[in-house]
Amino acid sequence: MKIKIYALIFFLHFSSILSANQIVDQNTIHKNLRCLVCQGQSIADSNSDFAQTLKMVVKDLINQGKTEEEIYDFLSDKYGDWILYKPKFNLENFLLWFFPYIVLVVGGFIIVFLIKKRSKKV
Amino acid sequence: MLSNTGNLILLLNILLSFLIIYYSLKCIRLPNNIISRNIYQLSLLQCTTILICFFTLVAAFLVSDFSLITVYQNSHSLKPIFYKISGTWGNHEGSLLLWVIILTIFSFLFLILNKNHPKNYRLHTLIIQNLLILGFLFFILLNSNPFSFVNPIPKEGLGLNPILQDPALAIHPPLLYIGFVGSSIYFSAAMASMITNYSNKLFAQSIKSWVLISWTFQTLGILVGSIWAYYELGWGGFWFWDPVENASLLPWFAMTALIHSLLVLEKRNSLYFWTIILCLLTFILSVMGTFLVRSGILNSVHTFANDPSRGIYILIFLSLMILTSIFFLFKKYKPANDIINSNSKETFVLINNWFMMFYLITVLLGTLYPIFTDALTSSKISVGPPFYNSVIIPIVIIFLFLMAIGPQTRWIKNKFTNFKNIFYIIAGSIIINFTIVYLFKSYSFISNLIIISSLFLIISSVSDILKTQNINFSRIVSHLSFGFLILFIGLNHNFSEEKDFNLKLGESKKIDNYKFILQDLELTQKSNYKSVVGVLNVNNLSTNEDRTLKPEIRIYDNPQTLTYEASIQTNFLRDYYLTMSNIDRSDYYNIKFQKKPLMIWIWISVIALSFGGFLSLFRNAKNN
Repeated sequence: MKIKIYALIFFLHFSSILSANQIVDQNTIHKNLRCLVCQGQSIADSNSDFAQTLKMVVKDLINQGKTEEEIYDFLSDKYGDWILYKPKFNLENFLLWFFPYIVLVVGGFIIVFLIKKRSKKV
Repeated sequence: MLSNTGNLILLLNILLSFLIIYYSLKCIRLPNNIISRNIYQLSLLQCTTILICFFTLVAAFLVSDFSLITVYQNSHSLKPIFYKISGTWGNHEGSLLLWVIILTIFSFLFLILNKNHPKNYRLHTLIIQNLLILGFLFFILLNSNPFSFVNPIPKEGLGLNPILQDPALAIHPPLLYIGFVGSSIYFSAAMASMITNYSNKLFAQSIKSWVLISWTFQTLGILVGSIWAYYELGWGGFWFWDPVENASLLPWFAMTALIHSLLVLEKRNSLYFWTIILCLLTFILSVMGTFLVRSGILNSVHTFANDPSRGIYILIFLSLMILTSIFFLFKKYKPANDIINSNSKETFVLINNWFMMFYLITVLLGTLYPIFTDALTSSKISVGPPFYNSVIIPIVIIFLFLMAIGPQTRWIKNKFTNFKNIFYIIAGSIIINFTIVYLFKSYSFISNLIIISSLFLIISSVSDILKTQNINFSRIVSHLSFGFLILFIGLNHNFSEEKDFNLKLGESKKIDNYKFILQDLELTQKSNYKSVVGVLNVNNLSTNEDRTLKPEIRIYDNPQTLTYEASIQTNFLRDYYLTMSNIDRSDYYNIKFQKKPLMIWIWISVIALSFGGFLSLFRNAKNN
């Protein structure tokens, strides 16, 4: 019984999150944009004029009803991919995104293999 | 005068290193198990002279001897004495000298503190360590000499970058250096172990303390750097996954993996080659980090000293280290056949290592990938916090669960029964999680999982104290505080509030349930800077609490620099964090206000984490 209640809570919880995910969060966008005139800071963190201006641009784009992805596309067309802190999924960045997980899977196999080979047969 | 003294002592040190290597080689050929006294004496002399060399540089900074180019470039006669001293290692040349000091002192201590280990193993360690020392001494003399002479002698120095004039940053480099330069000694020991076939559990015992020391200091060094970044860089965060930060984290992952695999080697005489690889890897990553930071190849918020010509030298040195390591590994590798059962402690140590390698490779790849894309396809990309967060965080959740279960297993046996217990702890964690979410009224799916998994680790660690008779406090403290660390980071990250807006003098603004008034701008004049202090009144409309925060804009004289000082109000529940910056051609000021819950607990968790390292060190010292 207890478990069922937990499961229900968890399910309700999960579904409410899926629906709440649509809002464009200005701060998340700011954190993903590199301040091009600074040394390694996002525009959310920077005090520079460039950051101030870009924040206004982002605000305008949100008001125009653009989604997060559209805003990133717009800005990376203009300034290059250098401006995005979260690299796009594309062929060029394939290894960056997937190699860690490949390592994880291969590592797991190595451990399983090692244990199979070396465990004491009972 | 000081310039000549310094150079002479550096040359003397090179001579001493050669002598130590020569006598060690001679001593190795003798059939007995005694290290001749002159090797001890030379090694002690080496420590003394390198310290004198360092104090010579400190003296040059203290008396502002601008005939030394390092002093000229990084100091100023009007600078406070404290920062004159810390300026000694606050620059590339001086910090390399600090690097050599740690190499030398660790070399000497390892020699005298491991008397019950075989002579050849100790001497080989000494020789390899001295080869490393020589490498860095030549680097200092040929490329980065802190005692280089300027002619004509300048009247005044250029001053130290004001954001480096800070107590946290004065102690940050020494702590971090004890950490990752300290790892050199087990690099040397691992090499020596392969060469002399000293590959049993005694080898593990001989390096264990050194691994623990370096890990503890590395942890503290990273902490101090983060605290500094938090209050000085003015963005309210403490970790940006910046290349320079990553450079300090990479050896940390390797060391953490090493601490665990060393347990297996010590207790079960197993995983020898893997442990050796981790020993070598830790120092290689440390040197690589230095290369990345000092060569200027990376664009970073922390880059204060870089020059491409340094890069080439370190790169050659690094390649030599890697090639030699690989050579010996291939030459000495023997397949092992020790028993490793599933669900035994050995397996869980391997799982720890597996995850550490995942973190390490993710961070390494993220740091280096932009360099490769730039070189190969000439497209510049950035890899920042959103990347690391989305790749690493889901895996951390699984990791925390395994980290809670691992210590409950036994050596060798594959016995594991406590499923019921685990279920209760998970249920408890979920309930607490939803209470937290209910109280804060804001959540996301992933943050729930982070909170649940860290609570699971915390509760499991606490319940371990109650269950077991033979308690390993150092392990419990470290695991527990790591659980708390992730919990507080999760809570802090998820429930922070951030407001960003513009205000002018006298204006007030209402945002959500806060009202801000810029009441006053005070101009003050300090000994080495002028500053504009904003007096900002923040009113919480729901509780009607009033507080005043005073952020500053500082204009430093030597060198002329503008910095923004955050105003921070800390207590055990939350930090209020406010920065103010001027906007060009306008009388508006940009204000960033943040409320960050439980901030101080993040620092406390890391201190507790490193305390776990100290505990383990004492335990180890007592047992051996």
